[in-house]
Formats: sequence, structure tokens, C-alpha cells
Amino acid sequence: MSATSTPSTPVAALEGLRVLDLSGAMGNYAGKLFADMGADVILVEPLQGSELRREGPFIDDQPGTERSLNFAYQNTSKRGICLNLETASGQALLRELAAGADLVLETFAPGWMEAHGLGYAQLVQRRPQLVMASITPFGQTGPYADLQATDLVALATGGLLWMGGYQGVAPTQAHGDQAFKCAAMYGAVAAMLAVTDAELSGEGQQVDIAMQECVTLALENAAQTYDLEGVIRKRPLGDQRFAGYGLFECQDGYIYLGSRGIGNSPAWSRSLQWFKDAGMVGVDRLFGPEWSDLTYLKSEEAREVFGDLFMTWSRQRTKEWLYTEGQKRLIPLAPVSTPRDLLDNPQLRAREHFVPFTHPLVSAAAEMPGAPYVLSSTPWRLQRPAPGLGQHTSEVLAEIGITRDEVARLHAAGVVA
Amino acid sequence: MTEKRLPLAGLRVADFCWIGAGSYTTKIFGDLGADVIKIESSTRLDSLRMAGPYKDGKPGVNRSGYFADRNTSKRGITVDMKHPKALGLIRKLIAQSDIVANNFAAGVMEKFGLGYEDCKRIRPDILYIGMSMQGSLGPQRDFRGTGSSIAALTGIQDLSGLPGNVPAGTGTNYPDHLPNPCHAAFALLAALRHRRRTGQGQCIDFAQTEPMLSLMGPTFLDLTVNGRLQQRRGNDHPWMAPHGVYPCVGSDRWIAITVATDVQWAALVGVMGSPAWALEARWQTLPQRHRERQALDALLAAWTAGQDRYDLMRRLQAAGVPAGAVQDAHDVTREDPQLAHRGHWIRMPHAEMGESIYNNLPFRLSRHTVQPQRGAPLLGEHTREVLGSLLGLTESEIDALQAEDLLK
Repeated sequence: MSATSTPSTPVAALEGLRVLDLSGAMGNYAGKLFADMGADVILVEPLQGSELRREGPFIDDQPGTERSLNFAYQNTSKRGICLNLETASGQALLRELAAGADLVLETFAPGWMEAHGLGYAQLVQRRPQLVMASITPFGQTGPYADLQATDLVALATGGLLWMGGYQGVAPTQAHGDQAFKCAAMYGAVAAMLAVTDAELSGEGQQVDIAMQECVTLALENAAQTYDLEGVIRKRPLGDQRFAGYGLFECQDGYIYLGSRGIGNSPAWSRSLQWFKDAGMVGVDRLFGPEWSDLTYLKSEEAREVFGDLFMTWSRQRTKEWLYTEGQKRLIPLAPVSTPRDLLDNPQLRAREHFVPFTHPLVSAAAEMPGAPYVLSSTPWRLQRPAPGLGQHTSEVLAEIGITRDEVARLHAAGVVA
Repeated sequence: MTEKRLPLAGLRVADFCWIGAGSYTTKIFGDLGADVIKIESSTRLDSLRMAGPYKDGKPGVNRSGYFADRNTSKRGITVDMKHPKALGLIRKLIAQSDIVANNFAAGVMEKFGLGYEDCKRIRPDILYIGMSMQGSLGPQRDFRGTGSSIAALTGIQDLSGLPGNVPAGTGTNYPDHLPNPCHAAFALLAALRHRRRTGQGQCIDFAQTEPMLSLMGPTFLDLTVNGRLQQRRGNDHPWMAPHGVYPCVGSDRWIAITVATDVQWAALVGVMGSPAWALEARWQTLPQRHRERQALDALLAAWTAGQDRYDLMRRLQAAGVPAGAVQDAHDVTREDPQLAHRGHWIRMPHAEMGESIYNNLPFRLSRHTVQPQRGAPLLGEHTREVLGSLLGLTESEIDALQAEDLLK
């Protein structure tokens, strides 16, 4: 069924939009963004299943087609079919489905879709408003178009890897396949822009999204710093960038303290008052004109003095206490949260951010992140758990007039599953 | 290619955003054709205007390259929101806007008299997005912070870096740059679709913590389903090996190499010239390589240390091994042939900064040219233009408001 509204279910923003999601790890999250906002997203997998089904974590650490939590998370709210796109019949079925779709999302290597009779030029003939969003490591054309990239390689070539980690040792990656996520996020935005245009003009188009290029958007001011001041930003010197600003140890982990922020901030004087009120030993050392001199604050001496005084005090206190008390005094202090901290975070709890995770192989209650945004009239909403392998093949094919007998024949011929 | 009007042409955004994630969201709208009017004040500057880098290293409100990159394609006006006449003027602007966007602390817009309910009374179909750090509802809605707080609070900091070391994070305020702008833009585009179909506006309550969590769903499921609290793991991969960052010739020069299959391993061994150690039985299968990856990494690093990173990247890619030079700001802006081919870096003129570098958006459309329409506005550059041609004020009326210190 496509999304329908009943009086108890608010209408969905993307209701009536049909998306064919042929993507893998670089694109599944983009399809999820559409699906959780109400689009009818059909995940099209090869007969052996999406590549994401082979990525952990797995339920009870046991790999298996239906056991990947990575797959289960990134494919919520979608229906799933299995098509063998190496066969002429599989390709014909996909063309038939595309004739009723608004968006095809794919992550094959450049040229693969054309070589399989599924190029945009072919698909658009039957559906002028069709948008095809193609996410690849480096883009559809250019000297690197045929190169391969994993998440780490895209972080490296896109420039973000260089900035993460510690000086003197190899740079370290961002957690959670963020290069894939950068590609998927901008893939979703770009696809939605093209769909907007298609709904207004009646004409679709191709969208070329490059993962490496998406990663460069994460470089903060590094490109401009080089261009305007000739300075190449490096991995930070240490945990404390200057006195009072950075990560500090506390009783149960780390906190971030931003006592000197961007521009002029009153946080420093508020912090000093706090330390004094709380009886920090030796706090007098932090009063004096040198502490308003940025050059001094960056010095090793200033960082050492502040770090010693502050951490002698903070190691006796918890993240939560420091966060709450600091915030009471309007100091930009935040815990360095672990996933467990976040599950207990009272603000996220009050916002009901985490939602139940339902899966046929998981009987105990479990939770996962839910709405990334709260829309008042058309809320984010899970339509269903991620599809089992081929779960909706018959149902979806029936919608384009393929009879049950024909599906059985296609199944036997290795075209569908 | 048929050039057509840009996808968001005809749309107007009353943009109260400042600093990081908010400004980067509305920039996307401006670059794609919307008329984004950035409302600023010299009485409370967008602090990014005073954050480097600056043209020639000289600070100035119109000299920050960081600010410029996040505010392309916008018109800029200055209005002192604390002035008694500010609200009347801004209400006129909102009456002609489709979207009102802000990333102030929760409650600030309400104090101006510009909360969602206020704006809805001015324009019933308005789309309103408030992007405070923790959202507009909840017991900690007033907690404050910046991009660095958000990176810490959301877990990306804790989970990135070396085990046993202080958390490294990404070295940037990552949630500011993609997670928040992209999710906000997607939500707005979805809400715009709903408005086209029904005529209804709505309010988007956006907490700058939540998209980052959405991007780490599997990490949370590992905890809630399997009971495993994930930890920093350097450059390790759950099953690939080798998978890491290895030294190359030069100071602080590195290459990322990832091997997912035995075929890729054989290719890597071939590129290395089949050294005896690499042919040993213990490296021939993926599970073996992964189990002893630390020893493998050391052996591989000893070999890569004599290689040029770009030359090795070319040879490995030609052999079918995903590999990439670790590129710094010079490399991505001046050396990378692929980003050059895509026209990623744009140089645009600016009255005070001359020509400087901007990111293009990271996608290309077949029927439209994707690029910033123009550089960032000078502080107050378009005040007279917007008040005159859009809000219908005469020159003498504008002069009078100026004299009353409203337009600063």
C-alpha cells in the first residue's frame, strides 16, 4: 500500500512520491529520509541482497541476511523487492516501475545504468518528470570518475581525514561512515531540489552527487584559511586548544569547556566566578591581565596552569554535574557524551527522540534514534520496519500488473526473489 | 543543457540565521535561486563576521572568508531588533516571505515578537524553522553552546580517535557543516511540498543535536540490541584489513588504503612487488589479516613510507584497490584534478575581499547550473534596496529610519 491517511494519522509531507532506491551504503540513508517523511520508497535489491546486509553490527553478532542492524536502521519505512538487473526481464521490470516513479536513487559506478538499459535517457522517455539521483565516489565524469572509494578513502581525498586526530601520528577517521553519510545527506537534498523543480515544471533531470566533493563541505574554514592567509589548518595540537577552551577530564569521562569562544564571550568571567564560588583550589592564579591576552592563552604555560587547576577540580566531579552547574551559569560547557549517556539524556527523553526498534528477530525492547526534525503538521514517522529480503516483491509487481503466476515464473527463472 | 529558472526562484527567505549551521542552510536556498534576505545588526554582529580567516589576515566585518563562504547568494540588511520600530518593519518583510529561519537560542524570536504564532498571524502559510541547539521544547531548551558543544554532546567526539587517548572528534565542528544544514534543508523542502499541495504552512522545531544522532543509528542499535557500548577505534574497520592510514614520503604525508577482498589483497601484494613477508600463509585470507591487523599495518607502513602518496594512489587504484592520498587544504584546493574538473572551488569578487575562494554545492544538475549567485553581502549592503523596492519605502522614509538609528 502507498501511504494513506486516516483521521488519526497526520498527512505526510512526501505522501504520493514514489522513489526507487537502488542504492547501497552511500545512498540508503537518503532513501530513509524520503521514506520516514512519507514517500513510498521501494528498495530494489539484487537477489543476494543489498551490500548493507553484510555490514555490522549484527543482531547477537551473528551475520545473516536479516540480521544487520546497519541495514535495518538505514532502510526503515521502505518496501523491498529483489530484482536481478543482469537479466533482460529484470531490466524490463525496473523500466516498468520507473515509468510510475518520481525519483530513482542509485549508487552504481558511472555507466552501469546505461550499460544495463536503465540510463536516464531511456527511463525519462516514459516518465518526463522522472529525477535520477546518482551518487558515486567521485562523480559521473572527470579523471577520478572510475576510481573506487570506501568511506575512509573519501574522507582522505575530501580533506576531512587530514583534520581529525592527533599531531605526530596518522590522522583518524570520523565515526560511523560519515563520508557515506555526507554523500547520502547531500544526495537527499539535491534529489529533493530536483523533485521540487520537476513538480513545478513537469520536467525531471539527472543529479550527479560526488561523495568526495560532499566531504569537502565539512572542512569548516580550512580552504578559506589557506586561500586568504596561506595557512594550512592541521590536526589540533592537543585537547586544550587554548587555556579554558577544549576537552578536559572529569570523574567519569570528559567535558568540553568553551570558556573562550568565537569573538568576545563573557564566559571567561562567568567561569572564574564559578570556580571561585565552588572553592577551586588555587583559582587566584587565573586572575590577572595576562588571561585576557589571546597570545598568552595559547601558550603552553597558560594551558598547563589552567589544565592543572581545572582538572584537579573537575576530576572530582561528574559530566552531568559540571554540565548542569555550568549551564546554570550560562557557560558553554557540554559533556563528551557516550551513546549510553545519550540514551539517558533528559532533553532527548523529553523530546521523545528515541523510538522503539522493531525487528522480527529481536524480542527484547530496543530503541534507535528517531526524528531528526519535528514538523508540526507533517511529522516524521516510521511507516514500517526495514523490509525482509524480497518481502514486497509480489505486492509491488502486482501494482504494475504482474500476475501471481508470472511472478512465480520470474522467480524460477532467477529474475526476482 | 536547457537553462531554466532555478528550482527555488520566486521563493523568499527572511533569514535571521547567524554563525554556523543556520547560515549554511539558507545558503543552499540562495544558491538555488531563492531570495534570501539576511537580517543582521551591527549592534549584535553575526560573530562569524569576526572569525577568521580574513583577507590579508586583517580583521574586519566584511573580511572574513568563513562568513563569506556561508552566506553566498544572500542579500543583507541591518536592522536593530531592539529598536521600537524594528518589529513593524520586519513584519512587512515577513508578509512577503515564504520561510522564516533562525538559529537563535530558544525563545529569542518570541522576545522579538516573531515566534511562529506571531509570524503565522502575519502570513498564515509561513514556513518557520527554529534551529536552536536543543530545540524549542524540553527541560534543557535553554542550555547554550556552539558547534564544539554540539560535537561533544552528540557523541561524534567521543567515538572518533584512538582508544585510550583523549577523544579526537573530527577536528572540526562537524554537525554544523553537513548534518544540521542538510537535514534542515531537507525538512524545509519537504514542508514546501506540503504547502504547494495544501496551502498550509507549518513550524519546524529543529534541535541541532538530533541529526547527528540520526546519522549514528547502528551505533545506538549495537547498544540497545547487543548491549555493546562502542568505543573509539582509530582507523580500524569491523572486518576489512588492511584498512588504515599509512605514512608516505614527505613530512606528515599519508595514504588511506582499504582492502575488502582477497582479490584486492593479491593486487596490493602485486603493487608492492610481492615481498616475501606478504606471501606468507598467514596473510592470505581476510579473517587472518583482520585478526593480526596490527602486525600487518606495521609491515605495510614500513613499505608505504618509501612511496609517494599520489603515485601510490594511482598504482593501487589502477590495480583495483581503493586508496586515496590524505589531502590537506592546499591539496584539495590546488592539486586535486577531480574537484577541479567538477568546478568545486569558485572564485568570486567581493568589494572588500577582492577575489576569494568559495565552496560550490557538491552536486550537479543536468538542467541547471549549480553555483553561488554572488558572494556574501557586506554588512547592510542591501538595506536601502530591500526597504525600497521590496517593502515600498521611499528614499525619504528610509532616510528618516536611518536617522532614528533603526537601520544599523
